[in-house]
Amino acid sequence: MQRFAKYKIYLFVLPAVIVLGAFFIYPILLTAKLSFTDFTGVGVANDVGWKNYERIFTRSRYVDALKVTLFFTLIVVVIQTASGLFFASLLNRLHSIRNLCRAALFLPAMMSFVIVGYVWQFIYSPFNGGLNALLAGIGLESLQNNWIGDPDTALFALAFAHIWMFVGYTTAIFLAGYAGIPQELDEAARIEGTSAWQRFRHIEIPLLAPSFTINIVLSTIGTLKTFELPFIMTRGGPDGATRTLSLHIIDSLFGKYKFGFASALSIVMLILVIVVAYAQNRILRSREEQL
Amino acid sequence: MHTPKSRFLRSLISRLITGAIVLMGLSTASLATVTLEVTAWKGNDTEPAALPELIERFEAANPDISIDFSYISRSDTDIVLPPRLQGGEAPDVMMADMPLVKIWSDAGLLAPLDKDGWYDRLTDQISQAITLGDNVYVMPLEVIGMGNFVNMGLLNAVGIDAPPTTIDALKDACQKLSAAGTQPLLLAGGFPAPLFAIANGLEADPADAGALGSGATTFEGNDAFMGALNHVKDLQQAGCFDGETIAGVDPWSTALSEFKAGNFAMMPQGAWNIQNFSSAPELDFVFAPLPSSKDTGVALDLFGFGWVISAQTEQAEAAKTFVDFFTDDANLKELLKAESAYSPFSDGTHGMASLAAPYDAARENGGTVMFPFGVLTWPKALEGEIFDSMTGFLLDLDKDANDVLSRWDEIIEDQ
Repeated sequence: MQRFAKYKIYLFVLPAVIVLGAFFIYPILLTAKLSFTDFTGVGVANDVGWKNYERIFTRSRYVDALKVTLFFTLIVVVIQTASGLFFASLLNRLHSIRNLCRAALFLPAMMSFVIVGYVWQFIYSPFNGGLNALLAGIGLESLQNNWIGDPDTALFALAFAHIWMFVGYTTAIFLAGYAGIPQELDEAARIEGTSAWQRFRHIEIPLLAPSFTINIVLSTIGTLKTFELPFIMTRGGPDGATRTLSLHIIDSLFGKYKFGFASALSIVMLILVIVVAYAQNRILRSREEQL
Repeated sequence: MHTPKSRFLRSLISRLITGAIVLMGLSTASLATVTLEVTAWKGNDTEPAALPELIERFEAANPDISIDFSYISRSDTDIVLPPRLQGGEAPDVMMADMPLVKIWSDAGLLAPLDKDGWYDRLTDQISQAITLGDNVYVMPLEVIGMGNFVNMGLLNAVGIDAPPTTIDALKDACQKLSAAGTQPLLLAGGFPAPLFAIANGLEADPADAGALGSGATTFEGNDAFMGALNHVKDLQQAGCFDGETIAGVDPWSTALSEFKAGNFAMMPQGAWNIQNFSSAPELDFVFAPLPSSKDTGVALDLFGFGWVISAQTEQAEAAKTFVDFFTDDANLKELLKAESAYSPFSDGTHGMASLAAPYDAARENGGTVMFPFGVLTWPKALEGEIFDSMTGFLLDLDKDANDVLSRWDEIIEDQ
């Protein structure tokens, strides 16, 4: 009986193990298996060995896509986290409009990617687009550009639209972090005669460490996998300047019917996401402990 | 004398018998009616292609066959149908293009079609394109043109009264339009520029298309395609466009609205846009061939789509009847008219609008090239690389044309 009780605990985790196994582990294993085949989506999958992986690492276009993905993630995570912190610290001091502004910032995240993509495509249009019209209106014609048609600016333009869409999430997480900072600390610091900047730098930033961890890890994972805005706004162009790994996967699946190759790309992306997320989590957690 | 109880029983029995007869009749009728599941990426409100009317006409002519029609967009077709085909639950009749036909038929998921009565009437180019081994799996429905949309209002304003069909005439038009402050040519990298390059390359050396697609010969160093890309450089020098500005313009949204708004004089695109552009009352336009080295220009024809029958269908006869219905010119011409398209049959009635007369003239004068991706001469995977590399080329027209063409070869090598 005691022996049964010892193993009973495993019965309770069994449903979770079944769900994880059926909906997460099995699809990943199936994808890994398909990545060694030439499967086209229908019919028989023939074994091709490591050919798909060899193609990924010997063709510059996939390495370029990897670089684009990492650079896009870097831009988005850094600017989105900084903007979210800025808005959160501002709203934390403006109690009367905090809820209204939080809702307003959150609104774009509730919109469909398709709508956001088309709206920003129109704003960035080189012909009578909103941004160029604004620049002309304030006498800055020299700054007008083909924002998503120029490889030098396209990725930044997409990153800006992405940040605009999701900065509300980051702000909400930082605001939750602010709510957990004891009021007494702030009051004590004020009595000691500290400036607002000193309180922000030496009290708020260290105590917001868990919020930084959550924000950075979540936005990194989300952005590494992104394909929606590049798909809608540029289709990876101009000439691959915004072609992320996810977009390559979609293109390989639908249009080229290379399911085996797309599976290999997915496995590479999965490993990338796991490595980056693990390293980030480890660094940020140890930083939390030090603070 | 009947008692109320016996009257009730007699009435109940007679009603039961009547009900049973009606039910038997209904079930016999339903047994006689075959329901055919049909899917297509035409037939919705945006692109009706006269399918709702044609299905109604088919059902009237074949009262024993009922059509259960579903619209599935082309992109969704890639997602929705393969699992159904693989799982043995495919629709009876499906709309498909050649890349799909090849993959599905290779997997044994399509039924070979009975060619009697229609195959011999196809044009040579189409019959060659759809024949896989000894079998034919698709009944082609339309061939659609890809050419040059020309805003005649803007051309007339600078003294030009006919759309340019040669490269020299195009350069001349560009110079005049540019001098008048009109943006001449919207040659975006994502579709219009590839159309121009492919049409000119294949027109210069049509015999090479198959060899290029199979990798037997390379694009790099190919005189015909080097020439086509050099034409693009010449066009920029003639003031037709600023490559850096137009390279990344989205050909499926921004480019269409810019041409429709009259902001550009010319734009290579597909004839499927005729209906959309015709809705702009002030836009005076024609659909012309792509300017080329020949006097006629080049008409780039795309074999769009056709009907295929699932190998797993249990309604093979009804499916055949449905497919055969569209081989009748009286029916097919309605679809072609709605689509502004050409018939795949040599004796078929075309549905091209009158404003496509310049394109028609190029076809009649033998200036036709088949779009190689629609007929599987080139692998589908190359299409995206051509769009990308042409965009890169437009962004830096000082680049060696061979750098662009070597990228095309790399994709062929990967197949």
